Amino acid sequence: MSVLIFMKQPANEKKGKAASKGKRNLNKERTKEKILAAALELFREHGLEGTTTKQISRKAGIAEGTLFNYFKTKEDLALFFFQKETNDLIRWYGQSARLHDAPLPEKLFAIIHRQLEYIAPYEEFIGAVFFRSLQPRSKLSPLSLESQELRLKYLRFVSDILAQAEEKKEIPPIGELGAYAVGLFYMGIVTHWLHDPSEGKQKTLALLDRSLNLATNVLKKGGWDW
Amino acid sequence: MGLVKPKRSSLGRATRLARLGAGLTGSYLAYQLQRPFLNDGEKEERRQALGRKNARQIREDLQDLRGPIMKVGQALSMQTHLFDADVVQELAGLQMQAPPMHGSLMRAQFKGALGKYPEEVFASFEPEPFAAASLGQVHRAVTKRGEEVAVKIQYPAIREAIETDFRMLRTAGFAARLAGHLKESVIREAERGIIEETDYRIEARNLRHFATQLAPLPFVRVPKVHDDLSCERVLTMSRARGVRLQEFLQANPPQELRDRIGTGLTRLFFFQLFRVQALHADPHPGNYLLDQDGTIGLVDFGCVKYLKPEIVRCYAQFWSREWTNDSALFAEIIHVIFGPEVSPTEPRVRRCMAEIRSFYDEFHPLDGPSRALDLADSKFMDGLNALAKTLLKNKFLAPDFLFLSRTESGMCNLLHTLQARVATTQIAREWMPPIRKTGG
Repeated sequence: MSVLIFMKQPANEKKGKAASKGKRNLNKERTKEKILAAALELFREHGLEGTTTKQISRKAGIAEGTLFNYFKTKEDLALFFFQKETNDLIRWYGQSARLHDAPLPEKLFAIIHRQLEYIAPYEEFIGAVFFRSLQPRSKLSPLSLESQELRLKYLRFVSDILAQAEEKKEIPPIGELGAYAVGLFYMGIVTHWLHDPSEGKQKTLALLDRSLNLATNVLKKGGWDW
Repeated sequence: MGLVKPKRSSLGRATRLARLGAGLTGSYLAYQLQRPFLNDGEKEERRQALGRKNARQIREDLQDLRGPIMKVGQALSMQTHLFDADVVQELAGLQMQAPPMHGSLMRAQFKGALGKYPEEVFASFEPEPFAAASLGQVHRAVTKRGEEVAVKIQYPAIREAIETDFRMLRTAGFAARLAGHLKESVIREAERGIIEETDYRIEARNLRHFATQLAPLPFVRVPKVHDDLSCERVLTMSRARGVRLQEFLQANPPQELRDRIGTGLTRLFFFQLFRVQALHADPHPGNYLLDQDGTIGLVDFGCVKYLKPEIVRCYAQFWSREWTNDSALFAEIIHVIFGPEVSPTEPRVRRCMAEIRSFYDEFHPLDGPSRALDLADSKFMDGLNALAKTLLKNKFLAPDFLFLSRTESGMCNLLHTLQARVATTQIAREWMPPIRKTGG
């Protein structure tokens, strides 16, 4: 529960930034994206373990030393990937007016499906990252300090959506537990997705749809007593 | 110990199935079993229906029938004579139906299949489906060229789910239990049919085949496939004019129009049977769209049965009745239609054929001036049902024959509801293939 202590605090990232600092940040961000794009392409060819930092810096067109200024390890690179993914998700959801009045199972479906679409071109990379994140000392581990900010962002995003559903009486109050449950559910879905041999990952889509419907119905009826 | 027989609740069965390995996505059957519990109103209704006493045993079996082998259930539901009205109603409600897809899933499915979202490839696209299909749902759309189309989109991984179910049904010995009602060959046929239905490219091929073959019948309309907007899991076709039977009847059409439509449906049936030798085999009334101008639109070609020539030939014999004086022909009919394991000399076979004979003589007489059969007459339907009952009771059900009789009785039900008068014998004989003389 420790993480959720922070959840009620508003994020204060955008406060008081000077214009020049903003520009510098933008440039920095662009370089990071360039490196990521180069790395993802190499990962697809050689795998996460098989790609060297030398290859990445050469492909991105920067000095190897500079690379380390941006990313100390490949795990930092992976974290950056997921930061981008989460930012993209939140931005996309904000713009998807169609979804805002949709029933909860559809909202959650659309969100998770969007995430799957985002990671779809990098399946092997995701698989390798998933495996790494199981190591307790990995920066990608759910328990690592480095990944907490990202996780909080996602949990806050989901818990807002669940709170709306509670307000609309779509589901009974489930409190903070809900966001955790969705987060875990997403990880389960990604695991299934990684091992899904069906064409176009059809089975994962079916699993996603039906488990969300079932879960919502079970919640609605107040548990399994039906 | 064992004083009280544990109640076999539907939920209990669902749980048992789940234990058998039918996972949440892996099984279409598991979904069908959950279905009554997913919706509150329906749940109560069904519980009440399930409580009715006299239908209990059959329902127990039918519960197990839900899901992919619903095709088998449908076959049973056509045999209205076997069950009480209660049960038939219950059965009719058990039409195969995939879970509904919300907009997000539908869009994901469409993009997964065709690489783009619907709004990118159509001029307009209705996000709400207008009909449920057995394996997905149908949306209205307008192409960029301005043509009104129907877009059928399949629910994800439905084929995998169906395959799992049939595998499980076999290992769990359901097939053996079902054998009390239907032969294994019929179940195999149902499986083949339903797996085929999951590939919309086959349906597109059927549509093209029927459009060509049925061209000599100007009053029949077959939807045109849009190949560029179709694939295995999405089927785009021109939207058919006309309305379903129930709606058609609400406008209280004159007898002349009823007769014309009825005659058209009958001609369509016999033309398919004797000329095309393939049947649009789903006799669901929703698959015929009737128009005020007397034309008939056919929809849903997922389930098409291509018939073997000998089946067609022998079926024609029911109408020609030449077998009554030809023992070799008689033996061939028994062999082809009822299956090789049935002997023509068995008394029950003779009794059954005599019943067929008297039914045809009464309602489709060969001699005398050709006259129209009044299908509104319940005597005819009773006769047809009695005949089907005899055939089913004796398990005279070669798979091809089942499809044929299913379509025929489906058509008769349709004509009965329509209250049409149709010169059936005359129409049947118009395209009947020449009977091969086998001697005697």
